[in-house]
Amino acid sequence: MQSHNQYFVPHGSYWPIVGSVGMASLLAGFASSLHGSALGSGAMVLGFGIIIFMVFGWMGQVVHESEAGTYNKQVDRSFRMSMAWFIFSEVMFFAAFFGALFYARNFSVPWLGGASNNFFTHQELWSDFKAVWPLIQMPDPSKFSVPKDIIHAWEIPAINTLCLLTSGATLTWAHWALLNNKRNQIIAGLAATIILGIIFLSLQALEYGEAYKHLDLKLSSGIYGSTFFMLTGFHGLHVTLGTIMLIVILMRVIRGHFNPENHFGFEGVAWYWHFVDVVWLGLFIFVYWL
Amino acid sequence: MKYVILIFFIFIIYSLASALYYMMKDGEGSKRMVKALTMRISLSLLLFIIIIFAFWMGWIKPTGVV
Repeated sequence: MQSHNQYFVPHGSYWPIVGSVGMASLLAGFASSLHGSALGSGAMVLGFGIIIFMVFGWMGQVVHESEAGTYNKQVDRSFRMSMAWFIFSEVMFFAAFFGALFYARNFSVPWLGGASNNFFTHQELWSDFKAVWPLIQMPDPSKFSVPKDIIHAWEIPAINTLCLLTSGATLTWAHWALLNNKRNQIIAGLAATIILGIIFLSLQALEYGEAYKHLDLKLSSGIYGSTFFMLTGFHGLHVTLGTIMLIVILMRVIRGHFNPENHFGFEGVAWYWHFVDVVWLGLFIFVYWL
Repeated sequence: MKYVILIFFIFIIYSLASALYYMMKDGEGSKRMVKALTMRISLSLLLFIIIIFAFWMGWIKPTGVV
């Protein structure tokens, strides 16, 4: 593998136009479905499919270019910088949802209950309302799906936490194996991480089913239901993406990609998985315990 | 107990952030990133054990249990 001295720029690529067509179809379909058009959802699915095709095609090409040795240190740096910006956007994304939970729990709900200087607000709006978290006794229950109970920490969430933390450990085991060039150990560690991720997602789906069918705990269950499903739902989406990324990395390891000196693809995905793991730990602590 | 959990969580975020810094800064072959991530997962597992122990001892209660 030889590195080029100049920044690698491909002669031509059709992937940007494929991505543009996919995005245009997705957005036009979305707008049409809002107007009640029958074609809208079809165009959305088509657009989404084209985007997925573009992501796999374009990333596949990047992998081939990398393996062909066309990238130099400057390209490597640009990959690392783009990863940092991506992570920054992810941190801001989750900060907004954790912020919403913090604000609801510590400010808006207590204020409605008369805390701080809101005695008259409480008297005027809903004088019978008691500010208790989790908020399952709404001031006006007719507008919400009132839950019978919440998901308790000491059930599926604790098992799921153990599942994700174990997956973090197996991934770190694979990371050390990569640095020590033990290929079978990398494959075993990555495969275990992927299996644990899938178990996590299955248990999460089971928990959602239980919440919707038996507890009446839904996205429409007031501020508790909204924050609970927004946080855990978007986290679940990130675990899904992380699992797909890990599967791609596993395939690359099986094909013989990466070595102890050159493995940024592995590092990026490993850090992303650790980040998703820490977000879950935060969720477990702030949603279920504190 | 609440503050012990929070302090642990801050250290976990610190080790994760330092792993990101090392990933950005270090060249190929550096082991600082994987060491920071090993610290991150070790602290996380320890925190999970502490939460279980604190719950077993009755020092903390999950949300919604009055």
